[in-house]
Amino acid sequence: MYISLLISKYLRRKLAPMFAAMAVTLCTAMVIIVISVMGGFLDMMRAAAQTLTGQVTIYSDVTGFAGHQEIAKRLLIQPEIESAAPLVRSYGLIKLHESTQTVEVVGIEPESFNTVTNYQSSLYWDNQHFLNMLDKQIPQEELTSPELKKRYADYKAAYEKMDLDDAGMNFTIPDIWVREGIEQGCVLGIAVNPWNLRNSEGKYDVANTALGLPMTITVLPMTQGGSIQTLSPATARFTLVNEFKSGLYDIDSNRIYVPMAKLQAMLDMHQQKIWDKFDPQTGQPVGDATIKPDRVSELMIKGKDGVPLADVKATVTRVLQSYLAEHPNTPSLWIQTWQERHATLLGAVEREKGMLTILFAIISLVAVAMIGVIFYMIVQQKTKDIGTLRALGASRKGIASIFLGYGLSVGIIGSMVGLALAASIVLNLNEIQDLLFVWFGFKMWNPQIYYFDRIPSQLDHMEVTVIVICAILSSVVGAIVPAILAAIQDPVESLRYE
Amino acid sequence: MTATAKQTTILQTQNLHKTYRTGGEDLHILQGVDMNVKSGEWLAILGASGSGKSTLLHLLGGLDRPSQGNVTYTQQNIYQLSRSAINQYRNHEVGFVFQFYHLLPELSALENVTIAGMISGNKQASSAKRKERAQMLLDQLGMSHRLRHRPNKLSGGERQRVAIARALLNEPKVLLADEPTGNLDADTGQQILDLFINLHKQGQTIVMVTHDQHVADLADRQLVLERGKLKS
Repeated sequence: MYISLLISKYLRRKLAPMFAAMAVTLCTAMVIIVISVMGGFLDMMRAAAQTLTGQVTIYSDVTGFAGHQEIAKRLLIQPEIESAAPLVRSYGLIKLHESTQTVEVVGIEPESFNTVTNYQSSLYWDNQHFLNMLDKQIPQEELTSPELKKRYADYKAAYEKMDLDDAGMNFTIPDIWVREGIEQGCVLGIAVNPWNLRNSEGKYDVANTALGLPMTITVLPMTQGGSIQTLSPATARFTLVNEFKSGLYDIDSNRIYVPMAKLQAMLDMHQQKIWDKFDPQTGQPVGDATIKPDRVSELMIKGKDGVPLADVKATVTRVLQSYLAEHPNTPSLWIQTWQERHATLLGAVEREKGMLTILFAIISLVAVAMIGVIFYMIVQQKTKDIGTLRALGASRKGIASIFLGYGLSVGIIGSMVGLALAASIVLNLNEIQDLLFVWFGFKMWNPQIYYFDRIPSQLDHMEVTVIVICAILSSVVGAIVPAILAAIQDPVESLRYE
Repeated sequence: MTATAKQTTILQTQNLHKTYRTGGEDLHILQGVDMNVKSGEWLAILGASGSGKSTLLHLLGGLDRPSQGNVTYTQQNIYQLSRSAINQYRNHEVGFVFQFYHLLPELSALENVTIAGMISGNKQASSAKRKERAQMLLDQLGMSHRLRHRPNKLSGGERQRVAIARALLNEPKVLLADEPTGNLDADTGQQILDLFINLHKQGQTIVMVTHDQHVADLADRQLVLERGKLKS
């Protein structure tokens, strides 16, 4: 009872424990923030990697492979498989706003692609969002004359009719954007267009978007043998019908989605009929044509909910082996899970997280030493009190308990304040960054370096609990030596202490 | 106080030695002290500075260990007791009053007194009863208006009254006072001595060490300690 009374009095009346608690607070907050950001970064990378590439991918070299329809058909009847989607991947140039950029051109069938990835939800513009942004940028009070108001109403009515989501899902061009000679739409990564800038709320403005504008895409076709064809580079015009934002900056700033069939045709990977004989007089083909099937770069596969990744991969491997046995001329194909595909990157981040945790744990030892020194000073200051308490009948254990309890209290207070501090920073990290940017023009998180355009963070309850417990234990450990020194003090010497 | 009570020996030392080793040399503070304290008696131990009187008091109170010899309290050698029992002895059987008061600076006057009861760990003595007795003692010592004050807000005399109240809280059989007026002016010192006189009248056994003959004259009996030996 006297132990708790003295602990509470010492905590309230002394400056030194405040410094000790502050050291615990800062160490706790520091470790929680680092772990949360690294953990959030890792989780976002995992989620992005999984949603952008599917769970398991069958892929070939750059020349692509045929027979994807048959493989997909066989896969889809397996109980472990939910969906499969082919895609064609190439690199090319786009010309937009008179500026030319290199991009990754990905040909997709949006419907099947959406069943494997979260393509539809990554489409940035829907009608309501578009119109809201339009209203924000053209405030009603600026429409001063009836003529201006009518023009704006007509303009808005035209946009209200279109369906941006449908345009993104089918590459169809809304009536308002139809141009002669352009038949299909494309969907661009939100950060590819360099004029696309975010407003203070972190949203992209309508004013700078290239939506509805035509763009030219140029790719290099490749023969099935893997050489660049003697043909000229293939060029086609598309209308930008929507933009996507996956959250993975590397993808959002480099990728464009186009209809798969169109890209196959541009790359000479489409289905073709080949005749061996021609009429010498007319030059027309004679006899039956040989069908050269279309080729794709990848087949992305998603397993059913709850099916372990290893089982999905095993099923895909089994089905592919059976297909390859029947089609021995198929070029080499590989199977990778999303984890294997991104193993280098994920492994590096995981190791970095581990390294940082160890580094900060070592730094936290400094806090333990600091607590030890502070408590040693407190014990020195309290030498006379210790002698008095011993004269009043307090046991050595009781004296040690005062200082251990003191350390425990400092640990609990320090770690709780640290937790609150860390939680308030972690949960508002992006807002804090935005404020720093507005006030000082300083940006901590560069999306070009860190893949994601927002700082990822995630408070893991288990990790936070372990950190808080470690912080409390560290305080108690820091107080052990001073507590023992206090307990073994000679009461007579203590009473004489000046 | 009855004559029988006065004749009962409550505290006794036999051939008590205490030697400190400092600077490679043995310093013989006490050299074979034999003495006894009778129940209800006020015993003054008179001696100059460095004569060993505080050391003797510490040994009587179980705060230190003798190099040789025994201290017997009600027929029991206290240095043969377990650690826990000797803590109990210091808490229950004796009460210390020091020259420099030794109050805990973070606690109020009332808390400084009640803490002696808290240390005893006697759960049956409720917090309310403990507080009631502490208030009663402080009231008797004229400190009822200073209960919430911390030691740095009290005068020397007031601090010593609080220290006496603390020593009396657990109703000790023996009050051990180490120069209780040594740090006070003459008037305040006399007020404190009056308190001891009152306590003695109520039957409290007191062992007081002092270098002041005037103070020693108030006691029932005087022993003179000179260079670690009792003067016969």
